[in-house]
Amino acid sequence: MASNEQPNSVHHHSSLQKKIKLKQERRQHNVSFVMMILLTIVAFAAIASDAISNSVAILFIIVLAGVQVFFQLYIWMHLGHKGHEFPMWGIASGLLIALITVGTLVGLIW
Amino acid sequence: MSNAHAANKSVLWDWLTTVDHKKIGILYLVSGGFFFLVGGLEAVLIRIQLMNPEMTFLTGNLYNQVLTMHGTTMIFLAAMPIIFGFMNAVVPLQIGARDVAFPFVNSLGFWLFFFGGVLLNLSWFLGGAPDAGWTAYAPLSTTSTGHGVDFYVLGLQIAGAGTLMGGINFLVTIINMRAPGMTFMRMPLFTWTAFVTSGLILFAFPALTIGFFLLMFDRVFEANFFDANMGGNAIIWEHIFWIFGHPEVYILILPAFGIISEVVATFSRKRLFGYSAMVFATVLIGFLGFMVWAHHMFTVGLGPVANSIFAVATMAIAIPTGVKIFNWVFTMWGGKIRFTTANLFSVGFIPTFVMGGVTGVMLAAAPADYQYHDSYFVVAHFHYVIVGGLILGLFSGLYYWYPRMFGLMLNEALGKWNFWTFFIGFHLTFFPQHFLGLMGMPRRYFTYPEEFGLGSLNFISTIGAVFMTVGTIIFIINVVVTHAKGKKVSGDPWDGRTLEWAIPNPTPHYNFLQTPLVRGLDALWIEKMAGNKKMTPAEPVGDIHMPNNSILPLIMSLGFFIAGFGFIYYSSAGAPALIAIIVGLGIGLACMFLRSWIDDHGHHLHKEDLLKEDKGVDA
Amino acid sequence: MDVGERLTDQNFPESPEKATLEGKNKFLGFWLFLGGETVLFATLFGTYLGLRNSFGKGPEASEIFQLPMVFAATIILLTSSLTSVYAVLALKENRVKQMRRWFFITLLLGLSFLGLEIYEFVEYVHEGHTFTSGAFGSAFYTLVGFHGGHVLFGCLWITALLVRNSGRGLTLYNAPKYYLFALYWHFVDVVWVFIFTVVYLMGKVG
Repeated sequence: MASNEQPNSVHHHSSLQKKIKLKQERRQHNVSFVMMILLTIVAFAAIASDAISNSVAILFIIVLAGVQVFFQLYIWMHLGHKGHEFPMWGIASGLLIALITVGTLVGLIW
Repeated sequence: MSNAHAANKSVLWDWLTTVDHKKIGILYLVSGGFFFLVGGLEAVLIRIQLMNPEMTFLTGNLYNQVLTMHGTTMIFLAAMPIIFGFMNAVVPLQIGARDVAFPFVNSLGFWLFFFGGVLLNLSWFLGGAPDAGWTAYAPLSTTSTGHGVDFYVLGLQIAGAGTLMGGINFLVTIINMRAPGMTFMRMPLFTWTAFVTSGLILFAFPALTIGFFLLMFDRVFEANFFDANMGGNAIIWEHIFWIFGHPEVYILILPAFGIISEVVATFSRKRLFGYSAMVFATVLIGFLGFMVWAHHMFTVGLGPVANSIFAVATMAIAIPTGVKIFNWVFTMWGGKIRFTTANLFSVGFIPTFVMGGVTGVMLAAAPADYQYHDSYFVVAHFHYVIVGGLILGLFSGLYYWYPRMFGLMLNEALGKWNFWTFFIGFHLTFFPQHFLGLMGMPRRYFTYPEEFGLGSLNFISTIGAVFMTVGTIIFIINVVVTHAKGKKVSGDPWDGRTLEWAIPNPTPHYNFLQTPLVRGLDALWIEKMAGNKKMTPAEPVGDIHMPNNSILPLIMSLGFFIAGFGFIYYSSAGAPALIAIIVGLGIGLACMFLRSWIDDHGHHLHKEDLLKEDKGVDA
Repeated sequence: MDVGERLTDQNFPESPEKATLEGKNKFLGFWLFLGGETVLFATLFGTYLGLRNSFGKGPEASEIFQLPMVFAATIILLTSSLTSVYAVLALKENRVKQMRRWFFITLLLGLSFLGLEIYEFVEYVHEGHTFTSGAFGSAFYTLVGFHGGHVLFGCLWITALLVRNSGRGLTLYNAPKYYLFALYWHFVDVVWVFIFTVVYLMGKVG
C-alpha cells in the first residue's frame, strides 16, 4: 500500500485529517436524519390539517419528497463526492426518463 | 491452453462455463444467428401466404402466430444478441482491455437470453405461439386464449433481464477499463455506439420489465391493469411498450452505425471524416430516441398538442442522422476505396438507410400518419431501417470481424454473391410494399381479395424474399466452406486502424500481453505511420489476473427458465405449476447465494508462461 | 497485496470499496443499476398514478389507508437508512465490530418494516381491498409489493453478508459488498419516501 511507504508522521497526520473528516460527516448525517424526520412530520401534518387546500398540499408534499431525495442521494449516498461523476450521470439520466414516464402516464392517458 | 483449470476438462464444459468475452461473443453470435434463421423462415412463410390473392397456405390464427413470432424473434432473439456478440468480441479489444468489467455477469446475461429465447420458441410445440403481434397490445394480448402470450411475456422477461445486465456491463467496461491514453474522444466509433446503446438499454429495458410484469399479472393472477371493466387502462400498456420500444430501435441501429463507421474508414484508408461530429450525433440520437415514442401512437388520440410535439421531436432526429450519412460519404471521398464484401455491405447500407429515414420523416408528420398508420407503408419503412440498416450493417460487421473472431477469412467471391442476392432481394421485397401501403393494404392481415389489385406487387415482393433467402443460404455455405478449409490469417488482414487488429491471431486468452499505450484516434494506424511494428506497451510484461470460469450462470438461468414454465401454466395447471415456480426461483436464488458465499479471486497467469507462449505465436 | 487479506489500520485505504479495479467496477455498475431501477419504479409509479382513482369493486383509498401505521413504517425505514450510514462510517474507519452491529440493527429494522407491511396488507384484504378488486388494487399491491420485495431481498442480502463474513475482518474483497448493500438500502428508502407521499398521503386527500 502507498501509505506504508510514507514516513510515519505524515501517516499520522493524514489519519488525523481523515478522522476529522469522518467526524464532520457523522454530524452531517445526524443533521440530515433529523431534517428528514421533520420533513416527514410536516408532510403528514400538511395532509392531516384542513387549513391547507388539497391541491396545494399535494404539490407541497411532492416538493418535500424531492428534498428528502436530495438528502439521501447527496448526504447519505455521497453522490456529490469526488469520483461520483458517472454515477451522477446515471442517476440524472434515470431521473429524467423517470419524470417523462410518470408525466406521460399521468397526463397522456384518459 | 493457458488456463490450467480448463485444460483438464472437456471442450463442451469449457464453453458452458466460459466467462471469456471472446467466447461469449461467439455464443451470442451463433445463437442469434440460429434465431435469425428461424425468424427468416417465418418471414418466408408469411411471404408465401401473401404471394397471391386469397391464398390458403397459412391463415387465421396460425398466420397471427407466425407474424408475431417473426417480429419478436427478429428483434429480441436475432438482432439484439448478434449486436451483443459484436460488442463482446470487439469492444474490450478496441479499448485495450483484457476482459469486460463483470465476466460472470456477462456469462449470466448470455444464458438468460438463451433460455428466454428457447422458452419463447417452445410455445410452438406446446399449444401454440403468441398471436397478439410483437407489440402485444392490450386487450388483444390480455384476452388471447391459450398460453401463447404467456410464453411471450415470460420468455422475453428472462431474455430482457440478460440484456439489461449486458448493458450495465458494457457501460462499466467502457468507462473503467480503457487502456492508458484511450480517452473518450479517442475511442473507435463502434465502441462509442456500443456505449450509447448500452445507456439506452439501461434506461429503456426497466420500463419493459414492468410492462411484462403488468401483463403477466393481468393474464396469470387476474389483475386489472388493462381491463377497462375494472377501471384498467389499455393505453398504459401502449405507453410503457413504446417508452421501451422506440429507444429499442436506436439500441438496434446505433451499433450498425458504429460498424459502418469502422468499415468505411478502414476500406477508404482514411481517418473517419468528422469524428467528433459523429460522436456528438450518436449521443444526440440516443437522447432524442427517448423523446419520440408517442409517434407510434399518433392515431390513439393524444390530441394535437402532444402529436405536434412528438412529430417535431421525431423529425429532429433526421438532423444528427444526416450528419452521419454525409460524414460516411466524405470519408470515402478521395479515399483509396477497396470494395471488399464488408465494404460492399456498408456502401449498400448508406442509400438504403437514407430511404428508410425519408419514409420515417414522412411518418413523423402526424396528419399524414393517419393515412399511413398500420398499413404496409409502415412495414416497408421499418424493414428499410432494420433490414436495410441493421442487417446490412451486421453482415458488414461479420465479414469485417470474422478474421478477428474465428481467425479465418470468409470467402470473398461467395461474399459478393451473398451481398448482391441479399441486397437486390431486399429492395425487391420491400420497395413495392411502400406502394402496397399507399394503395391501402393493412399490415397483419393474412390475405386480400383479387379485385383490390394488390396481387402483382405482392408477387414481386415474394420473389424478393426468395432472393434474400438465397443470399442467406450463400452466407451459410460461405461459413461452412471457410471452416472446412480452415486457412488461418494474420492478426491484421485488412490493414486495420484500431486496437483490435494489433494482436496476433488467434487472439490470446488474455488479449494483450502488455496493455497498449494509446496515442490518439486510430491507435494502431498512428503506430503504423510512425513506422512501429507493434503498439507501444504501457507496462512491462507481468502476471495477468484473469477471472475463473463458472457453471453458476447456466444453472441460475435454468432455474429462471423452470420458474418461467411455472408462471406460464399457473393459471391452468395450479399446484404443479406452483411447484415449478418455487423450485425454479429456489434454484435461481441458491445460485445467487452461492455466488455470494464462495470467494472468487480469479487466477493469475504467470509471466514466465506468458513469455513462453508469446514466442510460440507468430504475431 | 492480496484482495482476500485482512486490512489493518496501517494499510487501510481511504475508500476500501474502491481500492481495486473490481471494487471500482462494482461501485459504478451498481450506481448505474440504481439509475435503471429509477426508471423501473417510475413506470410503477406512473401506472399507479394513472389508475389510482379506478377503484373497481374495492373500497376507496381514503377509506382504508391508516396513516399512523404508515408513519411508523416511514420512521422505521428512515432510521434503518441512518444505521446503514453509521455502518459505512465504521467501515471507512476499519471498525469491523461496530460496522457489523449497525448493519445488524439495519436488518432488524428492515424486518420490522416488512412485518408491519404484511400486517397492513392483511388488514386491507379483510376490508375488500385486494389485488383483483379493481385497477387501483392491482396497481397498489404491485407498486408497494415491488418495494416490499426489494426490502426482503435486502434483508436476505445483508444476512448472507453478515453470516459469511462473521469472524472475518474487512478485506478489499468484502468491503465493496458491504458498501453496495448500503447504497441499495438507501435507494430502497428513497423509493419509500415517494410511496408514502404519492400513495398514502395523496390517497388520503384523493
